[in-house]
Amino acid sequence: MRTKALKIALTCVVLAAALGGLMYTTLAEGTEYYIHVDEVMQDPEAWKGKRLQLHGFVADLRQRPNTLDYKFNVQFNGKVMTATYTGIVPDTFKNESEVVLKGKLQGEGFAVEPNGVMAKCPSKYNPQTPGAAGK
Amino acid sequence: MAALGSFLLLATFVVASYALAVSVAGGRRRSHALIESGVGAFYTTAALMTVASAVIVHAFVTGNYAIKYVQRYSDAAQPLAYKITSYWGGLDGSIMFWVFLLSVFGAIAVATNRERHRELIPWVVAVISAVEMFFIFIMVVHNNPFSTFVATTPADGKGLNPLLQNFYMAIHPPSLYIGFVAMTIPYAFGMAALITGHLDDAWLRAVRRWTMIGWLFLTFGLTLGMLWAYEELGWGGFWAWDPVENAGLLPWLTATAFLHSVMVQERRGMLRVWNVTLVITTFFLTIFGTFMTRSGVVQSVHAFGEDPWLAKLFTGFMILIVTFSFGWVIYRLPLLKSRHELDSWVSREAAFLANNWILLFSAFFVLFATMFPTLSEAVRGQRLTVGPPFFNMWMRPIGLALLVLTGIAPLLAWRKSTLTNLAQSFAWPVAALMVTGAAVYALGIKVWSSGICFALCAFVGATLLQEFIRGAQVRQGASGADVFTALVGLVNRQRRRYGGYIVHLGIVLMFLGFAGQGYKLEENMKLNPGQTGTVGEFTVRQDSISVTNDDQKQMITGHVTVLRGGKEIAQLTPARWFFAKHEDQPTTEVAIRRATGEDLYVVLAAYEVQTQNATYSVTVNPLINWIWFGFAVLAFGTGLAMLPERALALAGAKVPEGAVTTSLMLLLMLMPAMAGAQTIVPRSELRRQLEADLMCKCGGCKAPMNNCQMGPGCHGLQEQHAKLDKYLAQGMTREQILAAFVAEHGGQDILAAPIDEGFNRLAWALPYMVGLGGLAVVGLVARRWSRQHAEPEAAPAASGSGKDAALSARLDDELRDLD
Repeated sequence: MRTKALKIALTCVVLAAALGGLMYTTLAEGTEYYIHVDEVMQDPEAWKGKRLQLHGFVADLRQRPNTLDYKFNVQFNGKVMTATYTGIVPDTFKNESEVVLKGKLQGEGFAVEPNGVMAKCPSKYNPQTPGAAGK
Repeated sequence: MAALGSFLLLATFVVASYALAVSVAGGRRRSHALIESGVGAFYTTAALMTVASAVIVHAFVTGNYAIKYVQRYSDAAQPLAYKITSYWGGLDGSIMFWVFLLSVFGAIAVATNRERHRELIPWVVAVISAVEMFFIFIMVVHNNPFSTFVATTPADGKGLNPLLQNFYMAIHPPSLYIGFVAMTIPYAFGMAALITGHLDDAWLRAVRRWTMIGWLFLTFGLTLGMLWAYEELGWGGFWAWDPVENAGLLPWLTATAFLHSVMVQERRGMLRVWNVTLVITTFFLTIFGTFMTRSGVVQSVHAFGEDPWLAKLFTGFMILIVTFSFGWVIYRLPLLKSRHELDSWVSREAAFLANNWILLFSAFFVLFATMFPTLSEAVRGQRLTVGPPFFNMWMRPIGLALLVLTGIAPLLAWRKSTLTNLAQSFAWPVAALMVTGAAVYALGIKVWSSGICFALCAFVGATLLQEFIRGAQVRQGASGADVFTALVGLVNRQRRRYGGYIVHLGIVLMFLGFAGQGYKLEENMKLNPGQTGTVGEFTVRQDSISVTNDDQKQMITGHVTVLRGGKEIAQLTPARWFFAKHEDQPTTEVAIRRATGEDLYVVLAAYEVQTQNATYSVTVNPLINWIWFGFAVLAFGTGLAMLPERALALAGAKVPEGAVTTSLMLLLMLMPAMAGAQTIVPRSELRRQLEADLMCKCGGCKAPMNNCQMGPGCHGLQEQHAKLDKYLAQGMTREQILAAFVAEHGGQDILAAPIDEGFNRLAWALPYMVGLGGLAVVGLVARRWSRQHAEPEAAPAASGSGKDAALSARLDDELRDLD
């Protein structure tokens, strides 16, 4: 009985360690920093190249005619950053709308990755159903 | 009305607390009178909640906008059906709906088990009443759906969120709630068994079907969620690892684990602590999932209201559940000893154990990853998030491992498999695996996980086929019947086993659909009229943009022609709908050209009405329809497995028909879901349909337009055709056109049949039919089940006639292992 308990414990420890280790390493690749514009602007250099989810408000939105290229500013708490995006934007993506942008900070501003624009849903949006997907 | 509603909620709370107190007292003193009184009070809660539900539905239907909840989630223009479904459109109402379902399910469970599990009943009543009390408490003090405006009553409501005004959204939440709530019943019986110390397998038998029902509805709810996301949200996928989705998946994973491990306990008397733990965990996760999505603890992009008060209440309740439940488990550990040890790792119970570990690990993983942003914020002060790629990286191998086990487990014997046994069983499935693997490799693998998945699907498919063929052969040899009869007889004889295999088949089909996602193609294109764009082998041509209106909304519709190999194959009309009162939040009406091979999925992303140009997001989604089809197969299998084994005794040969009817019922329930949403009817077909729907106005013929005896020269007919053309050119739907004709004509007699209303009513009545049908099935199952006596279920096969002996011997190696 003793040895059996020991065996089980040992198996669990080894499995947990292996999976935990695996999880830790994959986490490093999978994570994105969720951060507001003002936090990034305190020290932009430190955030360059990292995968970010940037939270802020859209301003000065411009679209190059007949393309899907957008250029705009994101601001939060008085700090402003320029951003670029190519692709389809949600309808709620307008000046002053609250957005979360996935992408990386590069030399010329924040480069949003494809499909990386998530406009925060208006407060009325209340999908009150567990399991209901939202995007 | 509102006062009545609030009063009813309070009354339910009082009655539930009475039921709790009296049952505990009755259970402890073994007082029959007290227990009976508690059961009576328990039934009363169900009655009260039913009346309260009727009150709120009445308020929605009559537009009682003095009630805040009604004002917020409905308006006058909404169709009747959506007024009713607004009941669960918001938090307050969904909690109430939860309590309603729980009280009704609880009443059914108690009524059906009263005689057979007499000793458990007071505690079952007590546990369910306590859960009800918690939810009613939330409503009464914090989220009362009946609270009213103090000063002025608004003239109209804000309207249900347009995204939720959709067929799937009408039935998706109730389905998921049924699943969640049904999981409370096994928990209550498990706790009752722990408290009373009656820890033999009796409580497992009492809850097995409830778990299956819960599991089926959870699966149905999750599938509907996927279907909704796919058809309504317009991003081309169906699962985004959103916290809300994960909340539904978590209890599904543990419930799946329980459904498997329960067999090990029944057969071998092992894993008893494990099973109790799984039941508790599943229940806990249904509560935790609700907490996770409602309290704002995981902040997803959706603006779920942050509600610290609710969070605290839930936290307290969850701590209570964990300490109370596991406290009892620890206290009863001596009674939960295994009767056997694992004999070999090459046995079916070992495979089940592995399956359980993997399922539990994936539940843990999903929980961890969902909570990771919150955890990292708490630990490091920096909010880190993980996205779908992280989930996929882990869940793909996990899913594939489960798929492997799905194939392996049925081939292993209980206790121990011998080498010859293994070689015999595995030869064909492994061959199928190899051949498919080689074929996939030769055709070129784009995504490794999809390639492996295809090969594994072949492996599992071959396993299942082999099981059916072998079983049928044995039975054929024994009974001399033809293959088909043998097959039906076989499935009928061991419904749980073969029903389970059919469920596995459904899972395999769903995995095919998941694997197809590896071959998805996506393209965004901005097109001027006449211009074309290409995705895969499809070419899309922009024709025009039209703007139309109805009472509720403005519709911008893009008209595109799809070509393949230079030939026109379809006209699609993706659209955006701007609902009044929700203009800032247009809904995406995706146009999908469905096919078994692949879907062409077109979304109108942006448009300019003046220049008639439009931006489309076009996706080719291979094999995706197999997911929905797989679910239909799965539902059929579950229905089969759920039917009582002893129903045989009822009508012998009639049972296969019964099974077929049940499955047909389930399929019927699903059909409208498949046909719902915005199905694209090609122009000409729509027109033909309308010609059959509308009466010719020439006066004499009294026939539909397509059947007018007066021929093409008929004056009235030409007029009708012109009108029809006009409406069709405006991009109106069938319902709108029929409505327009009725309005112009001034009566319904212009319609060949009152199809319009009838159809709509049918569509909207469906959720209720599903619900009622579910209840009816539950009731029926329950009645059957209360009639049979507590007999080990394998007994009929073991004591079967001589004819069946050979069959049993070869088929059911596990029977020999029965103690």
